[in-house]
Amino acid sequence: MTDLETRISGEPVAAADGWRLDWADRARGIARLTDGDRSLLVLVEEQATAWTVTLHGRRIPVTVRSWRERVLAEAETEGPSRARPVEVRATLPGLVVAVAVAPGDEVDEGAPLLTIEAMKMQNEVRAPRAGRVIELEVAAGQTVATGAALLRLE
Amino acid sequence: LRTDTAAPPFQRLLIANRGEIAIRVIRACRELGISPIAVHSDADVDALHVRLADRSERIGPPAARDSYLSIDAVVDAARRAGAEAIHPGYGFLSEDARFARAVEAAGLAFVGPPPSALEALGNKLAARRSAADAGVPIVPGTTVALTDDVAAVADIGYPVMLKAAAGGGGRGMRRVDGPDDLRPAMEAARREADAAFGDGTIYVERLISPARHVEVQLLGDRHGELAVLGERDCSVQRRHQKLVEESPSPAIDDPTRRALFDSARRVASTVDFHNAATVEFLVAEDGSHYFLEMNTRLQVEHGVTELVTGLDLVAWQIRIAARERLPQEVLDAPRRGQAIEVRIYAEDPYDGFRPTSGRVGTWEMPSGPGIRVDAGIEADTDLRPEYDPLLAKLMVHAEDRPSAIRRLRRALDETLIGGLQTDAGFLRWLVDEPGFAAGDYDTGIIAERWGAGPPVSDEDRGLAALAASTARRDVPNRAAETSPETGSDWGELGRREALRG
Repeated sequence: MTDLETRISGEPVAAADGWRLDWADRARGIARLTDGDRSLLVLVEEQATAWTVTLHGRRIPVTVRSWRERVLAEAETEGPSRARPVEVRATLPGLVVAVAVAPGDEVDEGAPLLTIEAMKMQNEVRAPRAGRVIELEVAAGQTVATGAALLRLE
Repeated sequence: LRTDTAAPPFQRLLIANRGEIAIRVIRACRELGISPIAVHSDADVDALHVRLADRSERIGPPAARDSYLSIDAVVDAARRAGAEAIHPGYGFLSEDARFARAVEAAGLAFVGPPPSALEALGNKLAARRSAADAGVPIVPGTTVALTDDVAAVADIGYPVMLKAAAGGGGRGMRRVDGPDDLRPAMEAARREADAAFGDGTIYVERLISPARHVEVQLLGDRHGELAVLGERDCSVQRRHQKLVEESPSPAIDDPTRRALFDSARRVASTVDFHNAATVEFLVAEDGSHYFLEMNTRLQVEHGVTELVTGLDLVAWQIRIAARERLPQEVLDAPRRGQAIEVRIYAEDPYDGFRPTSGRVGTWEMPSGPGIRVDAGIEADTDLRPEYDPLLAKLMVHAEDRPSAIRRLRRALDETLIGGLQTDAGFLRWLVDEPGFAAGDYDTGIIAERWGAGPPVSDEDRGLAALAASTARRDVPNRAAETSPETGSDWGELGRREALRG
């Protein structure tokens, strides 16, 4: 049973010794972990090789890979990296209340780009690096979800 | 008290809200024999509150300002549905005097305090002046709008809090530690207040720290009777917004409690008041208290008071709006045991309580003795970024505070939410925090003791690895890769090579 490698935040982690997992509801990913008189409910969700285990209310991403998947993944990470345009994405959902830049603007790293109101707070989105705004993908008044493309910098 | 033969206070009532609070009001309507009418934006056509009501009226597109905040759309919906009364819930239009007036002008009953009270108490600066005039201690600071002449701030003494006159809910609030930070903070607070309320007026208060946030629940009828239904301690906050509320407060003694109740009555007496409201105070370490604001609506955390008093505050709001009198049983309602509420938000407590979004998958809520869950969603629900990320309120009631904390721990251990991070991880940490258990904490507890949360313990890492690898082995279509028969991928690769021929 040592054929699967588990990693959390990139570091190999050994499965806990002495604990047993019993499915309470396999279809929904609900299981009970038991070690003697101690036990707890966990939720296990699958996303490809990335699994998420919710434990004491905290979501812990775990990658689970077989030997073959590991070898393939390592082969893929080789390769040149070059500066590409960066897509600035929303890190939280909310309402775009102000856009401070226009296409063509040169911005410094950390310059305010736009303001998203979420949870009753105004959050400034800043430039991740210096560059030129090549495309605006949202306008003031628009609602955005987490991960939504806001603008592109080159 | 009501008997089964009593006529319902209204035939039909429209609920101008969404999510868990709309469902809470629907349930009160059912028990009173009232037909509940929901409203929905285009984003909420299939929402739970819509499905639980007798019917639902469309009030506009997803953006709240064009739907749940549209006075005309809501009043028109009530007319179309033939409703006799409107319950505004909390947030949205609940404290908007123009809305309350429009409801009354349409010949409908507004389930809340009179418009004049909403107006007088909605301006937090004017409310400060009235409270001070009524002999209630207020936080030292200005009682007029802060102008660019900032000499007044130095007199108050740093650190100070900047607050929005039209404010509430933590918006437009800024802590300022010294004169160098004052100007930028003033600008930010004004901008935020203007964006949120259309009024950038700010004022300044001295920062009371350490402090507890303690509020008093009021219920008044239209015949001059006022019930003081105990206090709630809401000191566990992030961004000046509450996460945990409990009653009674573990931090105050009976003389302080009586002083708070007296001050709450005095603040209410400054306006023509009936229906439900809450008077909020800061309580300093020495037990002295300071008026903050009076919220002229049902609070998110009203259920805590319902658990310790056994009263149905929402039902009483509706009955008061129908001109019923508060009976002696309500005016003298005894309070029993300890109730604690925790709010479950789509927020990541390990990343500054940032809102999270996406789809809630698994949704397992606790049950059993002394547990109440007011939820606005169910399993497999897409969250809308337009609206408040409150998913549910988990409440427990037990004979005393240690029992209530044990019950809350058990309830959180039964809670499983899939799809996105919620603040449940923080709440589970909180019930084990020794200071919380001892009642020894203040409004700084999250900043000082939680921060971004503890690192994942070695045991939890090992358990997560065990759960994920076991789950992967148990996935049927992957069984071949890792089955005991082949033993490992070496065998699997060899077998595939052989099959390829």
